[in-house]
Amino acid sequence: MDIPSAHSHRLRQQYPQRHNHYKFSDFFQFNTSEGTISDWNGSRNILTSEDFIIGLLEGLEEEVGAASAAVMYSIGLEWGKQDSLFFDQWFEREYKVSPQQANLMFLLETWWWPFTAQGWGRWEIDMADRTQGFMFINLFDSAVARTLGDVGKPVCYLYAGLYAGFFTEMVRKQLSCIEIQCYSMGETYCKFLLGARERIDAAAFWLNEGATASDIEKRLRSGDSV
Amino acid sequence: MLSQLQTLVREVDGRYATDTELMFLQNYLQTVRLRFSAYQKIQKAETEIIQQVKKKLKTADPQLLRRGKVDLSAKWQRDTMRGLRYCAHALLVADEEGLEESFLLWFQSIMRSFKAQYSCDVTYKVMQDVVGQYLTPQEAELFCPILAKARLLLGQ
Repeated sequence: MDIPSAHSHRLRQQYPQRHNHYKFSDFFQFNTSEGTISDWNGSRNILTSEDFIIGLLEGLEEEVGAASAAVMYSIGLEWGKQDSLFFDQWFEREYKVSPQQANLMFLLETWWWPFTAQGWGRWEIDMADRTQGFMFINLFDSAVARTLGDVGKPVCYLYAGLYAGFFTEMVRKQLSCIEIQCYSMGETYCKFLLGARERIDAAAFWLNEGATASDIEKRLRSGDSV
Repeated sequence: MLSQLQTLVREVDGRYATDTELMFLQNYLQTVRLRFSAYQKIQKAETEIIQQVKKKLKTADPQLLRRGKVDLSAKWQRDTMRGLRYCAHALLVADEEGLEESFLLWFQSIMRSFKAQYSCDVTYKVMQDVVGQYLTPQEAELFCPILAKARLLLGQ
């Protein structure tokens, strides 16, 4: 049972069965006396500007150089793992069914909706190759890529880590993720490949050799390895 | 109208609104009686509307509300009732933008995850014909574009 606190979402207390609660004014609760913002699931949120994102990425790059990509990925990975556990709790509380019993696509859409409401972009999952051990995620309007603009290289390492972390925890199998197409490379949307580490390493190699996302898709589907 | 009102309040800061900026309010006031009467008719006939749509759907395609041996009619009915109520609310307050933001976009992703786009497409198409029996042509002219929008978003 939820114990009402200063951070309890008043609208959620009033309508606990309401699932379409992702409109800005419904999802967020501005606790003005405390100067905090909480969301429907009780998470603490902060609003940031594009300058903040640029500052974070450029500051990190200045500190650690090329390793900043790996640092962002690791941050995302840890975030995804923790969020998976958090998601299990709120999903079960809201839908009165355990995540394991839910329809997989419904479960995943439900996981991503808070991210959409928070401005991380909309997504589309392509699970056609799931039985082959990999899948693709298309991300529209990445907060990171949209902010940095066309810089000629993939920049959404935070998202790649987030997907790797969440799915690793969800399927209890070590998974990796790589961005194979990015809005910051002049594409219209970002594309991620999720799968076992050796597959992702192969994709990273092909990407370095100049392969496009569609080349990588073809090679994976034809069973190619490095 | 509600979303437009919020935009107006935000943008008209420290000045008077122009006639063009107030046009949507004039339009709303001109149609408000029709909206009220249509809303009340839909509210009163909700069950009949849903049943008629269901009957037409089943006649046209007996398998549409089934997945194998599982009968999805009850689930369809709950979803359709919810959709109709949100659409009727959007009609009352003239807020298609708000309908999209608070309901349709979320519901679209849920319907896609259950691969229910086709049944949504047919449902909201048939519903436009059915509500025509309960509303005057002027009322239907206001409501059908909202159902068409629901069809467009949920049916793809």
